Amino acid sequence: MLITLTINGKTTTAEIEDRTLLADFLRAPAQGCTSVHLGCEHGVCGACTVIMDGQIRRSCIALAAACDGASIVTLEGLAGDELTERLKASFVKNHGLQCGFCTPGMIISAREMITRNPAMEESELRQDMSGNLCRCTGFSGIVNAIKEAAEAHRRASQ
Amino acid sequence: MKPPPLVYERAESVSDAVAILAEMEWGARVIAGGQSLVPMLNLRLAPLIKLVDISRIEDLRAFSDDGGRVVYGACLRHGEFEDGAVPDCANGMMQRVASRIAYRAIRNRGTIGGSVALADPSADWITVLIALGAIFTVAGPTGRREIHADEMFLGPYTTALGEHDILCSISLPKLSAEGRTGFYKVIRKAGEYPMTTASVVRDPATGLNAVVLGAVNRPQLRLRRSSAILAASTRWSDDVGAALIDAYGEDLAAAGRDGDPYERKLCETTVLRAVQQALR
Amino acid sequence: MENTTEMELSLGPRGIGVAMTRNEDARFLAGKGEYLADLNIPGTQEVAFLRSPVAHGIIRDIDIPPEYRSQVFLLSDLGDINPVRAVLNHPDFRASDFPALADGRVRYVGECIAMCVAPTRAEAEDIVQQISVDIEDLPIVTDAVAAAEGLTPVIHEGWPDNRVFVSKPSSGDMARAMAEAEIVIERELNMNRQCVVSLEGRGVLAYQDRRLDELVIYSSTQQPHMIRMVLAGLINVPEHRMRVVAPDVGGGFGVKNNLQSEEIAIAALAKVVPFPVRWVEDRREHLVASAQAREHYYKMKLFARRDGTLLGIDARVVVNAGAYSIWPWTSAMECNMVVGIMPGPYKMLAYRGHGTTVVTNKPPHGPYRGVGRPGACFALERMMDELAREVGISQDEIRRMNMVTPDEMPYLTIAGKLYDSGDFPLSVSKARDLIDPEKIRHLKRSNGQHGVYHGIGWASYTEQTAHGTNEWLSRNLSEVFGYEAATARFTPDGKLILEVAIQNHGQGLETTLAQVAATELGVDPRDVVVRHGDTAVSPYGLGTFASRSMVMAGGAVGRACEELGKKVKRIGAHFLQAHPEQVELRNNHVCVGSRSVPFSEVTRAAFRHAQDLPPGEEPGLQISLTYQPESGTGAFSYATHAVHVSVDIHTGLVTLHDYVVVHDCGTIVNPMIVEGQIQGGLAQGIGNALYEESPYDTEGQPLASTFLDYLLPGFPEVPTARIGHIESPSPFTRYGVKGMGEGGAIGAPAAIVNGINDALAELGVEINETPVSPKRLLKALQRSVEKTA
Repeated sequence: MLITLTINGKTTTAEIEDRTLLADFLRAPAQGCTSVHLGCEHGVCGACTVIMDGQIRRSCIALAAACDGASIVTLEGLAGDELTERLKASFVKNHGLQCGFCTPGMIISAREMITRNPAMEESELRQDMSGNLCRCTGFSGIVNAIKEAAEAHRRASQ
Repeated sequence: MKPPPLVYERAESVSDAVAILAEMEWGARVIAGGQSLVPMLNLRLAPLIKLVDISRIEDLRAFSDDGGRVVYGACLRHGEFEDGAVPDCANGMMQRVASRIAYRAIRNRGTIGGSVALADPSADWITVLIALGAIFTVAGPTGRREIHADEMFLGPYTTALGEHDILCSISLPKLSAEGRTGFYKVIRKAGEYPMTTASVVRDPATGLNAVVLGAVNRPQLRLRRSSAILAASTRWSDDVGAALIDAYGEDLAAAGRDGDPYERKLCETTVLRAVQQALR
Repeated sequence: MENTTEMELSLGPRGIGVAMTRNEDARFLAGKGEYLADLNIPGTQEVAFLRSPVAHGIIRDIDIPPEYRSQVFLLSDLGDINPVRAVLNHPDFRASDFPALADGRVRYVGECIAMCVAPTRAEAEDIVQQISVDIEDLPIVTDAVAAAEGLTPVIHEGWPDNRVFVSKPSSGDMARAMAEAEIVIERELNMNRQCVVSLEGRGVLAYQDRRLDELVIYSSTQQPHMIRMVLAGLINVPEHRMRVVAPDVGGGFGVKNNLQSEEIAIAALAKVVPFPVRWVEDRREHLVASAQAREHYYKMKLFARRDGTLLGIDARVVVNAGAYSIWPWTSAMECNMVVGIMPGPYKMLAYRGHGTTVVTNKPPHGPYRGVGRPGACFALERMMDELAREVGISQDEIRRMNMVTPDEMPYLTIAGKLYDSGDFPLSVSKARDLIDPEKIRHLKRSNGQHGVYHGIGWASYTEQTAHGTNEWLSRNLSEVFGYEAATARFTPDGKLILEVAIQNHGQGLETTLAQVAATELGVDPRDVVVRHGDTAVSPYGLGTFASRSMVMAGGAVGRACEELGKKVKRIGAHFLQAHPEQVELRNNHVCVGSRSVPFSEVTRAAFRHAQDLPPGEEPGLQISLTYQPESGTGAFSYATHAVHVSVDIHTGLVTLHDYVVVHDCGTIVNPMIVEGQIQGGLAQGIGNALYEESPYDTEGQPLASTFLDYLLPGFPEVPTARIGHIESPSPFTRYGVKGMGEGGAIGAPAAIVNGINDALAELGVEINETPVSPKRLLKALQRSVEKTA
């Protein structure tokens, strides 16, 4: 079937198999969004998290067909976004990544969380981020990075 | 882990969806949020030929407050309850329960109706809806009908919904200002399906008293003797706790439940702590 | 000669010891990492494996619909390929063949039977579903203890029973230890089977490069050179006509540190089809068919005096190594390591180990962070806590009093390891100061309120790292990993490229190796290119595993840069009209006093204007060298973990309130990265202790094939450890560095389970099994209630 999606600001119409997963559609060479990673393909690990119509969702358990007409943003499309750039800088400073595989999903989820609730204290932050798994860092660097970026974002928004 | 070949069709209305389902004797299945169904498709554990997408049907995303009850469209998402985008009929219980379902990214898509229709025995919503005395409106080939919560859940992954039925809405009573609730679940790690859940509702103004237990691989259980203790108590105390333990044991015996001693212990704890919340 | 500003020359030291942020972060944060599944090679077709649905059987028939036959590849379709035969160099090691695709018989659920090839993975899976395999059942073996006793049907033809190898290290006077013992502690313990779970699964892509006439294999692997070497022999392609490349790798932890069936199969397939082929492991495959780890059964005896002095340890262990022997480690590696390292940081009169590796109808064993050490540490440290309880000495004191002391270093242990340096007792005292046992003792007074019990758990261990030739020889491995290699080369414009054979997959080596270069050469570590993971790019070396890279590759890079630095100095001194011994290398300049010349001038001469070089100096500026540490048994890091836990006896849930690690890994190259490794290892240790298990039923069917059943700890489950540092440089390595990547995972299961036992001791409950699930905990509580009743 034919679907139309806006991906990182660019509207595209494509013919797809009905069973095509959104993640695979985004990752294919035509769209080239390989920042979307597949870690489990059943919605648990969070590595495939994207923004659809302003909300985070798993792309590995989304049928592209069901997303017809939606606007999708991946990490590639967040370059230059103020909060994203703050998060990236904080991740670097706080050693928030090692192998990098979980990182795009982490940034997208953290950005959404900070936008929704910039004043989260740590245990709430950890609960809210529980939908993103990391196997390398043991989470502490990521927590510190998010706290730092959230604080900077809060101050800048005042 | 990629889905098998399938046909995707979007239904424009409830009657449209019912008609599409009715076209095929078997192999057509409704998809709403897809947060449970698509993983099963990826694992190739859900044999089907056609998916009927009902997630954008306006009627299924509506909600209304008619004074005594709130009617929630089946395709309202957990995240909408969490964010307070829909009214909370149960003095915050709906919001509290929703905000701890799985993960935020899942809650943004998963629907309350989808949880009901799948009837995973550990699903957070189900003991809540039974405890509140939900009335489900279902549309099928022969028209619309109502199913009460006590008749809806027949066992793990088994409901009173037929192959060609669509769950349309969930009607819940509004608790009075004195209404109190409790919800407790035992999970090993954040976001996973709970091992046990218990929902408790106590509303002296309306006379609604319910204690409902849910556990892995078991049908949900309404605990009548435990509800009686709940109804008769105003505040939690050690005496109430002791009486509750006895009542709970009687409820299990009445239900013919034996099972692993460790499971019994877990369930007992779940019930006690949920009641304790409601009697704070 | 240019004029350099004072500021440029006075930039602070940026080499070893600096907590520099990582060079590799930028591309990952931009979403530009390129993992195996991201590779875009035109014409690539995707492969899905048909895998065995049963744990043991003879394949009677494989029925492939004719319309798909050309897209399905069985072993017989792959031409001349050899099975893997991974053996120890020991007459008693029982050998078996492990074919890349099943050769008539299957021995574990998930074993590869056939490859299905199609333009997309979905279509390839469609073909898999069309094939029906008729398998005649054979008796299924899952019980490792029964297998060790010779009581199970044999799964490898020609073997008398299912024992692969028995390792019996023993040293000292056990008779004396037993005779002098006033206390004997005996326990049975076990650590259940686990998966490794890197977040990125495994994957292989292969094709024939027509221009270079070579077989190119991309693999998500930790050891490209080794894979090329062994694959060449198996699929009959000469090494110089094969290239193995590891792209960005999304975590390894050991599961990508093996020769994998799928690597052989995909490489062989690429020889017989005219297009690139790729297999990307999905999560279910990983949980069912990747190399697994742990599953140890211990019978421990501790002999001690009433004053707490440890006299001897008798350790018996059975390890369930699954159906096949994986190359190069062999089935026996984990078990042999358990009995080899058991004595830990302690002194004693005698040690007797007895380790039996068995085969069963489960997936093969491979290395996973810590390998045998988490299990050995768990068993021994549980015993130490029980000893402490028995003699009425505190848990920290019982350890301190029995440890090797710094003045005894270097110390040859009863297990034959040479401890190089360290202050083990200090790690205990520092951990004690950080965890504050008094605070927890105070909390214990309210034990029982709301069913909550508090406890404190301890674990101390040593971590053998960067072990060299002697150690690998003593393990009878067919391969010896005693060195590493590095090339350091300048470009004509004065920049440095390092080419190394280790493979960086999260450890920060693109940064830390640049820091080593900065220390030796005065280059800017932000501007050093580190190329790794590609047989076409670096000299032959061995890869990243066994916590070896910083020592080995760091040593090789250090040596190479030091040598190169001598030439840079000679040329620079020539330009500065100074003596080579008078000049320094700083901030990309050769300096003497206030005068300097930039490296770009040096390289310009070396590469483009040899006439300007000092007389007798050859053109070019690059060098390739190897490095081996001085001690064959490696450099020993160590740590003490202490954790404050509480247990809810009404749910069986465990909470970690405070986690302390005091560690020593010798000279630290980058403190930020070291802490990251400790914290990351800790998370996996927490998984081992409380969440992760790969259970099998008696039919050999895996019961945890998705993340719904295989639980990984997430943000709420992993507290941030408070880390204390001790720095005892190794006398045997360059810079005194020691490896340290696995330690967090080694100590945590022991510490956490000790904490749980400490919390529940007053209820008479003891738990000696991981993971400590709510079910196990509640059952243990129930048992003790029944006992007292």
